[in-house]
Amino acid sequence: MDTTRMKPVLEEEGELFTLQMGPQHPATHGVLKLDLELDGETVVRCRPVVGFLHRGVEKLAENMTYAQSMPLTDRLDYISAMANNVGHTVAVETLLGIEPPIRAKYIRTMVCEMSRISSHLLWLATHALDIGAMTVFLYCFREREWILDLFEELCGARLTTSYTRIGGVRQDVTGHFLESLLRFTDEFPEKVHEYETLIDTNRIWLDRTQGIGVLTAEEAVQLGLTGPSLRGSGVDYDIRKHRPYDAYPYLDFQVPLGTHGDVYDRYRCRMEEFHQSNHLIRQCIEKLPSGPILSEDAPDLVMDPRPKCVTADASLSAGLIKIIEERKHFMEGDVYVSTEVPKGELGFYFVSDGRGIPMRMHIRSPSYIHIGSLPALCEGGMISDVIANIGSLDVVLGECDR
Amino acid sequence: MAQVTRFKQRGWIGTILLLEIAKGMALTLKKLFSRSVTRQYPVERPSIALGFRGQHALVRNPDTGESLCVACMRCATVCPSKCIHITYHQDPETRKRIVDTYEIEALRCIYCGYCEEVCPVNAVVLTEVYEYASYDRPSVYYDKDRLLSNWDRFLGESGRDPKTYVNPFWRPRGADERTLPAKKRLPVPEEWTLEGQAKGIPLPVAASHGSHGGAH
Ligand code: SF4
Ligand code: SF4
Repeated sequence: MDTTRMKPVLEEEGELFTLQMGPQHPATHGVLKLDLELDGETVVRCRPVVGFLHRGVEKLAENMTYAQSMPLTDRLDYISAMANNVGHTVAVETLLGIEPPIRAKYIRTMVCEMSRISSHLLWLATHALDIGAMTVFLYCFREREWILDLFEELCGARLTTSYTRIGGVRQDVTGHFLESLLRFTDEFPEKVHEYETLIDTNRIWLDRTQGIGVLTAEEAVQLGLTGPSLRGSGVDYDIRKHRPYDAYPYLDFQVPLGTHGDVYDRYRCRMEEFHQSNHLIRQCIEKLPSGPILSEDAPDLVMDPRPKCVTADASLSAGLIKIIEERKHFMEGDVYVSTEVPKGELGFYFVSDGRGIPMRMHIRSPSYIHIGSLPALCEGGMISDVIANIGSLDVVLGECDR
Repeated sequence: MAQVTRFKQRGWIGTILLLEIAKGMALTLKKLFSRSVTRQYPVERPSIALGFRGQHALVRNPDTGESLCVACMRCATVCPSKCIHITYHQDPETRKRIVDTYEIEALRCIYCGYCEEVCPVNAVVLTEVYEYASYDRPSVYYDKDRLLSNWDRFLGESGRDPKTYVNPFWRPRGADERTLPAKKRLPVPEEWTLEGQAKGIPLPVAASHGSHGGAH
């Protein structure tokens, strides 16, 4: 048993202070706890403690059909629920061998990018707030509210969207939705310019972010970082580009890369992603094909969890019954599919034994792995930079603790 | 792949005159005179979208005043949080199922909307009512009567006509009519059908931005 955790909050230990930051500290973005050992104001040792928000999502999913476990993913990274829904559904579709129709792919890509914008907006708001730039917070929430209103119009919920369905999406877009979204994309670049006016060259912001939390490309890869946190170090790795899913192969976009690998470059990467996502949404609106939104192979929402009754080589004379039974049959095997969510690479690993419920669902959540890189970022730095580092990794504890 | 832009180095004039801070201040000053975006909530009500997943209700049959539910148990089977409890008995004469109790624990519900989507007769619905917080638990454990009165409350508050109201989850927008059970083939706006669905909007040529900053 580790005894350091039992000690009182602030205790002198020879020359070193032990400071327990969190889990209720507002700047730790949720219930992250950091055991810090300080020499004056320098962090000597940093040890993240996670698990305060553990709800057993992976275990819960083992007792649910694939369709039922989709709403659970809303509660992983609750800031970008749409992207999680899509990640889960793409993985299940790969497992079951279902191809969604092209219109559904475009709609999914569109909502993924909307959730990327809304997630980065919340990241910018809180990251700036942590560092001390309070004004940006309200500006970001103004636009985030707009996106959430659009989500509400599309799927009836603002945060817990549960929008995708295995083999497509649950609701088609309307003309009014597309027009409102187009208006949003028209105005959004100006708004990003406003945030940049406020902090981009502000000397306090620069002092707090430049040269802080530097990770070389090699270190970032070794730590397993993904998403903008990795790209800030200049590593060109984006699943949307390199292992494209949904409609990404048909769309044109750039992957912004940093050079220095510090907090400022990670910030700049996300700011550029605002523009890229905006550009992607506009392409989706323009190119949106017509057609069905749900594949014909899509299983019924009430997925029957009973094992299949006929074998694949049952005689064809069974006719309709065979077709019905085959729909109940789910392939055996395992699959790992990762998608690019705003935080990084979100992977779903399913093991199926042919029933309608997964035997095992594992989630590779970017936040969990990013928190693992905090010691490398914080040790040797000042205590005030710990906050900037947490913010720049963009972690969400709902996803980390699952 | 594209490199992001770093800041431009500040000149000495900018350093002395605090130019970048002045710019930021000018922006906030400008916002002081623009229209406020804050909604004064209890006074100003937000407009709730059609198909918002709020308080549960059981649809009241306008002719008989009873619920439409046929106790097929699909909603209770699909519910991910298992918060719908139904008991029924079979009428010995007509062989129809009669619902005895129908309960939804709203506190366990995760508002996924699966129940209304799978219901073959459009009997259960998540209404647009969102203000139903309560100080005690029993009042959010809805039984059948409460669920029916929730429907009345929804109709009263929203002013929707029960004859023409179609929830988007009863008859999903863009769904193929042929795949739906007969009761779910409701008359819907043109846009919700496969033929009339919204097409992509061609972008105005001049406004094709998106390649800002150093991203290209
Ligand atoms: S909305 Fe979902 S969780 Fe709630 S009662 Fe319906 S099926 Fe169950
Ligand atoms: S799905 Fe509809 S008809 Fe069937 S039990 Fe539920 S509410 Fe009743």
